[in-house]
Amino acid sequence: MPTTTGGFAGKILRVDLSTGKIGLDDTVERYRDVLGGTGIGYRVMWEEVPAGTAPFDAANKLVFATGVLAGTSVPCSGRTAITTLFPSCWPKALTASGHMGGRFASKLKYAGYDGIIIEGKADKPVWLFIRDGRVEIRDAGHLWGTGIRRTTLEISREMGADCVVAAIGQAGENRVPLSLIVNSVSHSAGGVGAVMGAKNLKAIGIQGSGSVRIAGDKVEWERLIKFHLSILGGNNQHVVPAFPHPHSEYYHPNSRWVGAPGKRWGGSDSPVEINGGLLDPNRIAFRTNSAAFFLGDQAWKHTVRGNGCSGCPIRCHTILKVPAVAAKYGIRDTAQNTCVGLLFGWAFFKSLQGNRRTPAALEACMVGMNLADDLGIWSNYHQLQRDLIKLYSDGTLKSKIGSQEYASYSWDKYESADPQFLFEIIPRIAMAQGELGRALGLGTGHLLEQWSIPEEEWTRDLSSGYWKMGHARHHANDVDGQCGVIINTQYNRDAQCHSHTNFVQNGLPLEVQKKLAAEIWGSPDAVDGVGNYTPMNIHKARRARWSLIRKELHDTLGLCNWMGPWVASPIKERGYSGDDSLESRLCSTATGQQIGREELDLVGERIFTLHRALTVRDMGEVDMRTRHDLIPPYVFQDPKGAEPFTRGTIRMDPRDMAKAMDLFYEILGWDQATGAPTAETYARLGLQSVARGLAKKKLLPGVRG
Amino acid sequence: MKEQECDVRCRILAEAIREAGAAGRLVGKGTLSARLEERGFGVPGGRDGPDLEALLAMTLAANEDLAAFPSHTGETLYHCPAVLSRTYASILDRKSSPILLIAEEVRRNSAESLRPVPLDLFGEAPFDLSPQEIQAALQSMAGSSEFEDVASVLTDAGAVYLFSTRYLEPGYAAFLAEEAETGPFMNP
Repeated sequence: MPTTTGGFAGKILRVDLSTGKIGLDDTVERYRDVLGGTGIGYRVMWEEVPAGTAPFDAANKLVFATGVLAGTSVPCSGRTAITTLFPSCWPKALTASGHMGGRFASKLKYAGYDGIIIEGKADKPVWLFIRDGRVEIRDAGHLWGTGIRRTTLEISREMGADCVVAAIGQAGENRVPLSLIVNSVSHSAGGVGAVMGAKNLKAIGIQGSGSVRIAGDKVEWERLIKFHLSILGGNNQHVVPAFPHPHSEYYHPNSRWVGAPGKRWGGSDSPVEINGGLLDPNRIAFRTNSAAFFLGDQAWKHTVRGNGCSGCPIRCHTILKVPAVAAKYGIRDTAQNTCVGLLFGWAFFKSLQGNRRTPAALEACMVGMNLADDLGIWSNYHQLQRDLIKLYSDGTLKSKIGSQEYASYSWDKYESADPQFLFEIIPRIAMAQGELGRALGLGTGHLLEQWSIPEEEWTRDLSSGYWKMGHARHHANDVDGQCGVIINTQYNRDAQCHSHTNFVQNGLPLEVQKKLAAEIWGSPDAVDGVGNYTPMNIHKARRARWSLIRKELHDTLGLCNWMGPWVASPIKERGYSGDDSLESRLCSTATGQQIGREELDLVGERIFTLHRALTVRDMGEVDMRTRHDLIPPYVFQDPKGAEPFTRGTIRMDPRDMAKAMDLFYEILGWDQATGAPTAETYARLGLQSVARGLAKKKLLPGVRG
Repeated sequence: MKEQECDVRCRILAEAIREAGAAGRLVGKGTLSARLEERGFGVPGGRDGPDLEALLAMTLAANEDLAAFPSHTGETLYHCPAVLSRTYASILDRKSSPILLIAEEVRRNSAESLRPVPLDLFGEAPFDLSPQEIQAALQSMAGSSEFEDVASVLTDAGAVYLFSTRYLEPGYAAFLAEEAETGPFMNP
């Protein structure tokens, strides 16, 4: 592949904060076999960060990388992966990645870079100035201690309005493990802010005046983009609307496609009423309103518009304007976010959990967004909030912190879901103040250890939402049976995989999903209805493998795995199928280098396996099956005692899950006994040097010392 | 009737069905007959050629984008599924009867999609029932053996979901209602 290939910007920026040295890698020459994103991140961690490195060591690296489709006109192509050792990973920090949208990826590409590798540690606070080929490490003394909004504003004033700023808040500065890096107001990557803070790097500001070259046929490119737009649904690729509509055979009340004709963005200076055809590609941005999905109809009158990533028509970051909160709480009247970011404040209050559609829930969300996205706190997929609720409810919290500190919180406000409580708790987490603030910011695993609470108290409690290693369950058997469980065993943070859940929750009737499943994974039995699970089969294992590989590919190409893959569509004439080869067709046309679906999936498998190798190496443990791929005991329980595989339970069967792991390991070419990739598998994926490195440490299956 | 005249009538009928669909309306034979008359075509029958029913059958056979279904009143209704889906057409057909509107939509969701539906759904477009109409319909159904399969379940958060016992067991429906009410929001 020549270095003039399309899609790539061509260079990786390497910044050593210890020495001030700034260098460049050739992207294609050095990283062609892992393409970009997490592929580059894992490669750097494997080759350059030795086992035993701690997250806040200068030797740890922070790898910002996007992919060949970022900065192009491909829908949903605004993603940047940030790979590093995760300080919230317990009991030992391991490699994982945070992901952010916004405009960072496209600006980085336009400036001429596919990624930035941050090395070393500055001896004082700095920020990184990037204007095309001009790169400078600048003093950030005036920014340190300020929030993300102030930092963004100051840097924007210095650089110009057309820059993008990715910054940490006080949480990152204070090395709070649950901290964010945020760009473009609300687009955040979780779990990585403290590593940036430990390097004394406050922010990165980027201006780029270049473009991304499409090397393939331009007509084909244009056709592909239009096709991609035509098969898009609403947020999370929900392909049917939430409401009956003349142009749709199906609807699903829980679809995130909530933009019904006649709904109104009432918070806009010039309110907009949703109109036009349901499937009109010029109306896609009307489909999603995350605030209305989560908070109900009350959100419409406060909606200014949808915001989102460059290249994405979905606009899932809903901008809300609620003038009342400015006077009541002394915060900005405007905020924007999606999903867990939108619900950050709401999730603290147990009493609001059944009351999403209330003004109190809306106010809690506004306060939460204003605080968290400025201080830079990561919710750990709401595990932070669930931990507080559990610790408070069972009395543990009161027994663990001093009475003086306990009395400093207004627990009456907490119980009554008064958003004023958020002003007491959130800043203290960001500043690591007090026993409670410090403990909550550590992440669940370290918190439990610090307070001498057995992890089993969380893993045996379904309501804890906890999975393993300090992190949360993220779309497991609650939505997708064995497939979801397998996926949740694989990462060193919450799984963040949406390939599987975007399919099973796409809103199509199960019968249609099964038809599509037969086409994609070889059998309708690859998919079950939620809570109507059937015993494990090879087709489900194939779907789990496919889901993980596509997640890694998306994280590598700059695509959004919260939206993709696009194997289902709203198009009746297509039998509701999407296109399983879309990623490879886009990649081929962008780079000008033909790569088929199976060949690209092999790249995804290589990247996923490299992540596995890193985990094996850094844990110093080949037995992934019993030491890493853990399943919390609550997965095998049912609150009402229902048996597995009966209708109305998500309870899994231990023997069936053992079979599920067997099948999953087998189709990946991993050793069934240990769940570790074999030497042959590493070789098949072009990772011979990785296998040699692991063999030297006796970390290949079958060669234990 | 010459074959050419027959074709013209079929084209007029097809056009009328498509136009109605695009405007979000269903059409029955009365409206279609009137359309032919407006265009100067009476509706012959007997020895003069095919009657309206036959013309409509020919129209549907010649136009794959058009379809017909029996209304709850027994009348045959015509629509163009590309612009007026079968599901939406069924809702429009039953709008004059809140009881049927709710019951049949609950049954269809339970049968096709294996899901209970939130009661709130019926207050939204295109159902547009008032709270009073919904309550009256539920009360009427509760006393009628014809609707004894339409059951309700209350979630922990206090939301009411409806389902049909013909297609969903009460325990499974309760599980699905709880999942629908909390799952996507507690695990977004």
